[in-house]
Amino acid sequence: MKFWEIGKRNLREIYRNPVLLGFLLGMPLAFMLVFCSAFGGEQASPIAMSVVDEDHSQTSSAFIQCLGSIEAIELNEPIYSEKSQAREELEDGRISFYLFIPSGFEEATQAQQTVNLELAYKAADPLIGLQVKPIIEAVGAEFLGMAPPLNVELKGTESKIKNETVNFFAPGIAVFGLMILISTAAEIIAGDREKGFLARMFTTPARPSDFILGYSLPFIPVLIVSTLIYLGVGMALGLTVVGNLGHAFLIFFLIGLCSIGIGMIVGSLIKSESQAGVSWIFIVPMAMISGAWFSVEGMPSAVKSVAGALPFIHAIDGSRAVINGSSLSAIMPDLYWLVGWAVVLFVTGIVLFRRTMVS
Amino acid sequence: MNAVQTFKLTKRFNGLVAVNGVDLEIKKGELFSLLGPNGAGKTTTIRMLCCLLKPTKGTASVLGYDVVKTPFAVKKLIGVSPQDTILSERLNCWENLALIGKVHGLSSDEVKGRSKELLETMGLMERSKDQVRKFSGGMKRRLSIAMALVSDPQVLFLDEPTLGLDPQARRAIWEYIAELKGKKTILLTTHYMEEADFLSERIGIIDEGKVVALGTAQELKTNLLEMRSMVVSTENLTAEVIADLRSKYSRLEIVKGRLRISHKDLDFKEIVDYLHSRGVTVYSAALEQPTLEDVFIQITGKRLRD
Repeated sequence: MKFWEIGKRNLREIYRNPVLLGFLLGMPLAFMLVFCSAFGGEQASPIAMSVVDEDHSQTSSAFIQCLGSIEAIELNEPIYSEKSQAREELEDGRISFYLFIPSGFEEATQAQQTVNLELAYKAADPLIGLQVKPIIEAVGAEFLGMAPPLNVELKGTESKIKNETVNFFAPGIAVFGLMILISTAAEIIAGDREKGFLARMFTTPARPSDFILGYSLPFIPVLIVSTLIYLGVGMALGLTVVGNLGHAFLIFFLIGLCSIGIGMIVGSLIKSESQAGVSWIFIVPMAMISGAWFSVEGMPSAVKSVAGALPFIHAIDGSRAVINGSSLSAIMPDLYWLVGWAVVLFVTGIVLFRRTMVS
Repeated sequence: MNAVQTFKLTKRFNGLVAVNGVDLEIKKGELFSLLGPNGAGKTTTIRMLCCLLKPTKGTASVLGYDVVKTPFAVKKLIGVSPQDTILSERLNCWENLALIGKVHGLSSDEVKGRSKELLETMGLMERSKDQVRKFSGGMKRRLSIAMALVSDPQVLFLDEPTLGLDPQARRAIWEYIAELKGKKTILLTTHYMEEADFLSERIGIIDEGKVVALGTAQELKTNLLEMRSMVVSTENLTAEVIADLRSKYSRLEIVKGRLRISHKDLDFKEIVDYLHSRGVTVYSAALEQPTLEDVFIQITGKRLRD
C-alpha cells in the first residue's frame, strides 16, 4: 500500500495549506452561488417583456393577459400596436426584447393554422431569447392547446422544472468547475518535481502506479465535496432534480476522475509548477465544445466528432438528462464513455510517469 | 562483493561530459568521500547510483544489483539524503519519517521504533511534532539524514550533507555520520576538504568528471605530495615582500593574518632568514601538515572552492 502512504502525505500537504484548500472548495461554492443567484431561485426578478399586438383581437388580448399572469414575466406598458414603435424602443435600449403578435393571429388560431410569433431581441444579448422562448412556448401550448411555431423542441419532463435556465446551465457549470482539478492536480505534481521531492521519492522502491494513485487520492475528497456543493447549492437556489440524485452524483464523480487523470498526465509532462498554466490550453477549448454553454449541434461536423469523443459532453448530456428525469439505462452510452476515459487516462498517466522516473 | 562498484561510469548531457569514466570500488561498511569542487560530477555520480539518471556509458551496481537493469532491487537497499534538503514541509518529523519508512515496506511499529531512535540521536525529539517548514537549516538537514536512515539501508548516499550550514551545525552532523562508520556503507560527496578529511576512510578526488586521485587522506597527502608547508606569524610585512615571495614559491596565502607558504622541498631556514633580512619581524614559524586542499591544487592546478 505504498500509494496510500504517498496519498496520505499529499492529503496532509493539501489540507494543511489553507490557501489551496480554500481555493479548491471555495471555487465551486463561489461559482455556483454567483451563477444560481443570477439565474435561479424563487427570488429571481421577473423578466420585463414588451408586446406588439398587431391583431387587436380578443384572442390576442387574452393571450397577452395569459402571458402577464405568469410569475416569471412582467408585461411592460403600453402594449404597442405598431411594430415600428417597439423596434425603436429596442434599438434605443429602453426595452431588451419584444414579442410580436401579427395580424391574423386570431384567425389562424381559430382555423388551427400555423401561428407566427416573433421574438425580437438584440443580437448582442441572445441569452434573453433562450430564456423567454420556452416560457412563451409553454404559455402558448397551454393557451392555444398547441405549440406556436418557435421551433424549439420540448421534452417530456419540463413541467416539473422550476427554472429552465438553471437546469440547463448547472450541469455545465459543475463539469467546467470540476475541470479545475486538471490544473490543480498538474500543479501539485509539477511543484513536487520542481522542489526535488519527487526525485527523493524516486530513490525509494515506490512504483509509478503508487505515485499516480498517491497523487490522485487527496483529490477524491475534494471531488466529493465539490460535487455535493454543486448539487446542494444548485438545488437550494433553483436547480430541480427530477431524476435520481445519486446517478447525477455518479456522473459528476466520473468526470471529476477524468479531470484528475488528465491532471496526472499534464503533471507527468511538465517540469515546473509555473508550467501548469498549460492545462488551460486544454481546459478552455474542451469546455467550449462540451455543450456547457452552447449546443454543439450547430458546429462543424469535425468539431462535433471531437466533442463527442471527449468525455465532457457525455458528462454534461448525461447529467442533464438524469437531472431532468432520465433513467440510468437511458444514459448508459455516456456512462461507458466516462468509465472508459477514466481508465485510459489513468493508465496513460502511469505509463508517462514511469518515463519521468529516470532521465 | 563490493557495496558500490562502477566501471567506466559516464554521463553526458547534450554533449557536455558530466561524469567521465569513473571507476569506484567501495567496500561494505566503508565511508568513502567524493571530494571535488562544484560541477565536478559528484551529484551526477550519486544520481546514477540512486537510479535517477541512466548512465550514457559504463556500469554501476549496488551490492551486486545493476542500477539500470534492477533499479527497484537497488532502491530497496539504499538510503539517500539529497543535496537540497527536501522534506514534506507541512508534515512533522514523525510523518516525514513514516512516509519513507513505509514506502520501504516497514510496519507501523518498526517505523515508530526507528523514528524514535533517530529523532533522539539527531536531537529532534523536542520539536518532532512541529511542521518542519518552521525548522532551521541545520534541523532540516538532520531530519533529511534521518529520513535516509529510517529504512535501515545497507548503503547510504549523502550528497553534500553539510552544505550551507554554520560550523556548529556542521560539526554536529559530522558527529552523527562518524557514529555510523562501520555500521553502514556510506558514500558521501563534499567540497569541504575538512569534511572529507575528518570523516572518510578513503577519498576519491573528482574534477571535471574524472576521479584524479584515490586513497586515504594520509596516503593522498604523503604519497602524492612532495610539497611542504610552513606558517609564519609576522609584523611589518610589506606588499613588496609578499610579491617577492610569491614569485619564488608555488603557493602563498595569508590565513588569519598569518603567512602560509607551500613549496616543493621548502627550506624553512631560508625563508625565516629572508624575512629577517627584509626587516620583517617573525614572531613564530612552524612547519605544517599539507592539507587536502594542497593535494587538490597540486593535482588539478586549481582551488577546491573555485
